Amino acid sequence: MPVRVLENAAPSQVSGANSGQSSFQYCSLLGVGQAFSGTQNVSSQQKDEAWRVNVCIQGCDLEHGYLCGTMEALNVPMADTPVVTFWEGEIVDTKNYTFFTGKWEATPEDDIRHWTKFPSFSPLLAQVEVDGGKTLDLSNYPYIFMRWKEQYFVNVGTDCGLTIAGFYYVCFSCSDGSISGFYYDPNSSPFQKLELKSTNNDRSGFSFSSYELQ
Amino acid sequence: MPTPSAANLPSDHILDRLSSSDSEIKLKAVREVKNQIIGNRTKKLSYIKLGAVPAVAAVLADSDSTPNLIVQSVAALGSFACGVDAGVSAVLDAGAFPHLIRLLSSSDKKVVDSAARSLRMIYQSKVAPKYDFFKQEDMQFLLSLLDSENENLTLLGVGIVIHSCETSAEQNILCYAGALEKLTSLLGGSLSQRDGSLDSLPAIIKNNPEAVCKFGGLHCGRVLSSVIQLTKDRYPRTRLLACLLLICVMNSSSSHLQATGFKKKLIHVLLELLDDSGPVGDEASFAFSSLIAKKKDLQKLAFDANAIDKFHSLLQKRPLQPKRLEGMFLALADLCSKLECCRSSFLSLQVLNIVVEALTHDDASVRTAACICLISVSRSVKNLSAGCFMNERIVFPLVRLLSDLSTSVQVAALAAISNIVVDFLPHKSTFMHCGGIKELVRLSKAMDSSLRLNAVRALRNMLFLTDKMCKEVLFVELTASSMASLICDPEPSVQEQALALVRNFVDGCVYSVEYAFAEDGVILNAVGRELRKYSKVEIGIQGLYVLSNIASGNEFHKEAVMQLLFPQAESGSQSFFNQFLQSNDNQLRAAAIWVITNLTFPGSPGAFGRIVNLRSLGIVSQIKKMFNDPCMDVKLRARIAIEQINTFGDG
Repeated sequence: MPVRVLENAAPSQVSGANSGQSSFQYCSLLGVGQAFSGTQNVSSQQKDEAWRVNVCIQGCDLEHGYLCGTMEALNVPMADTPVVTFWEGEIVDTKNYTFFTGKWEATPEDDIRHWTKFPSFSPLLAQVEVDGGKTLDLSNYPYIFMRWKEQYFVNVGTDCGLTIAGFYYVCFSCSDGSISGFYYDPNSSPFQKLELKSTNNDRSGFSFSSYELQ
Repeated sequence: MPTPSAANLPSDHILDRLSSSDSEIKLKAVREVKNQIIGNRTKKLSYIKLGAVPAVAAVLADSDSTPNLIVQSVAALGSFACGVDAGVSAVLDAGAFPHLIRLLSSSDKKVVDSAARSLRMIYQSKVAPKYDFFKQEDMQFLLSLLDSENENLTLLGVGIVIHSCETSAEQNILCYAGALEKLTSLLGGSLSQRDGSLDSLPAIIKNNPEAVCKFGGLHCGRVLSSVIQLTKDRYPRTRLLACLLLICVMNSSSSHLQATGFKKKLIHVLLELLDDSGPVGDEASFAFSSLIAKKKDLQKLAFDANAIDKFHSLLQKRPLQPKRLEGMFLALADLCSKLECCRSSFLSLQVLNIVVEALTHDDASVRTAACICLISVSRSVKNLSAGCFMNERIVFPLVRLLSDLSTSVQVAALAAISNIVVDFLPHKSTFMHCGGIKELVRLSKAMDSSLRLNAVRALRNMLFLTDKMCKEVLFVELTASSMASLICDPEPSVQEQALALVRNFVDGCVYSVEYAFAEDGVILNAVGRELRKYSKVEIGIQGLYVLSNIASGNEFHKEAVMQLLFPQAESGSQSFFNQFLQSNDNQLRAAAIWVITNLTFPGSPGAFGRIVNLRSLGIVSQIKKMFNDPCMDVKLRARIAIEQINTFGDG
């Protein structure tokens, strides 16, 4: 989700994905077409504020630790319409990606400071401090850790007064499909919390759609 | 066969003159025919239709024919065979083949040379008879050809290997007989022999690691090194053939030529060869494709070598021959098949415009290649989501190709469309406005199963996260009974796509579930039938997700799924549903549990009754056994399902 542009905001640095082979376990609640809704707390010292947020998963490639989708911010004060961004995610599978970001102006200390905000991360902390978690086997862990980086605005121009320079540290619960996240951008308010729950339209249960690219 | 125009009519009484008893008249007639047909396909066909080939071939059987007449006749026959399959057939039908073989043993060198050249022409055609390497005398004869001092004979031997070595057994017997050594010895011969050797060696080593190993070890690797050197030869054709042989070695064996530095050099040589304005430049694109296809590391190296810029600048040159265009589009398709950086570069350089323009090219191969290129570049969720492809400029010509006379074009266009319709937008107005839905529905009923498969996949993709209006239009066009037929299609792959299509139909807002109940539930019944047959895991997964989505609807929907899976008549017996819960496939087990999770969803008035039934059928106890399933997703789904069931009491 975009945040307000602050003066002297530095541009994000994006590098290519690492190559690697992984057989990270599939989680049906994180499949393409799954939708989530909730809020992002964007409170500052001046005032408390939370934007309503919808997320939809559009692509998933577990072999390469890749996930992508859109994020829609609904009540952005400075925008006439909901603002939609496209994001790409790195799944911390310890093969393609570790807990250390290594880019986007995030130091290992920044990484640890954010990951430790998730209670489900505490059993992993000791090892992550040693090697970023690259020796951990997370394939059977009931939480999936990710970084989501917004790549472009889908429905507004870059001159909309919002920035997508930062990225999210994300923790997904495979049990109930809930998502917690923290936005990180050295030039924005720290620890903006994202909280999302799996949505199911007006249904009494869960529905799943799919597509297949050739 | 085309009818000859008046200008192309062969000279009067030519058949009479070819059959004349006067050898001078006959010689003149043969020369006349030979001179007229050289390089002229139309003339060749005219003379073939006239019946000139048997008359010319008769010279070879006549013991009175002079050597000069024989040489002229043999040359004429070779010319008939050159590049025209109908000519090869006519020469073979005239019984000339055994005579040509016999003439190779003539004492007259001119006769031998002309016979060898004509036989080479014949062996360039697929119509030519297959050479039997397993017959000892034939193998001996072939080896004698390769050993010959006569260049025409060695080149005939090379041509026979290229034509007839196809199976691994044929490759092995040629290796065993020493053909590799003899062919590689030609690398030190004339330019034609060197090129012939380079051209023939892939036939013996392709996809045969043993043969590659033997080739790589010849003269302690010096032969392979000399081929590598030939990639720097001054003749472009030699460079291309050397590259093709080395690509064949790389693709056939994982232990040869895998160094990154070597791969970079090969890419560089091929990119340079693209500048050749003749056939070498045309073929270089295809060679480039065979080097990088399905190999991400090579695609990245090619990207780093600015391959996309190179193709882009070459595509600016007009006019381009169809073969060159086809090759470049296919090479770009391979480049963009896996890497996002390649696709980004492709789009930012606006190569897309050139490809879209080619969708209306006169040549079907070019149209197909342009579609294949679009398939690759649209295999990017990032670009699909950005709306890079769903516009009139691209979609309209693609939809028109669905009526193309060529099935290959139709299949490729369908595949491109099936990617492009995944634009993550709920309404597909652009696609609907150009009649795309009608066309896809028409092709979903095609006799050709590849057309049917691709059409149904495109429809399935189009329905992904789509809105009510789009679903309504498609449902009216396709009809419930047609969907039911597709679910029961003879092709399992079509069945799987049809079930995935229904799964997307009944996804979204809860009203969508009603589609499954149209026409007296013909769709739902078809899904039930296929699940009971359960022939393939993928069909099971899609079928179960259809039921899971329906079971996430209202009470009526849940009861319908319950009845379908566990009819009253079967109560007490082992349900067929159990086989899904006990499957070895993780996704199938997960899908099966989702059905139960939705059937027992808290807050549903009939949930308690369904739970009672599920307990009595042993389904609940089966799910409890899955608490420690090796698959995380299945394990968690099982626990959530039982937690949910236990809210109604645990027994």
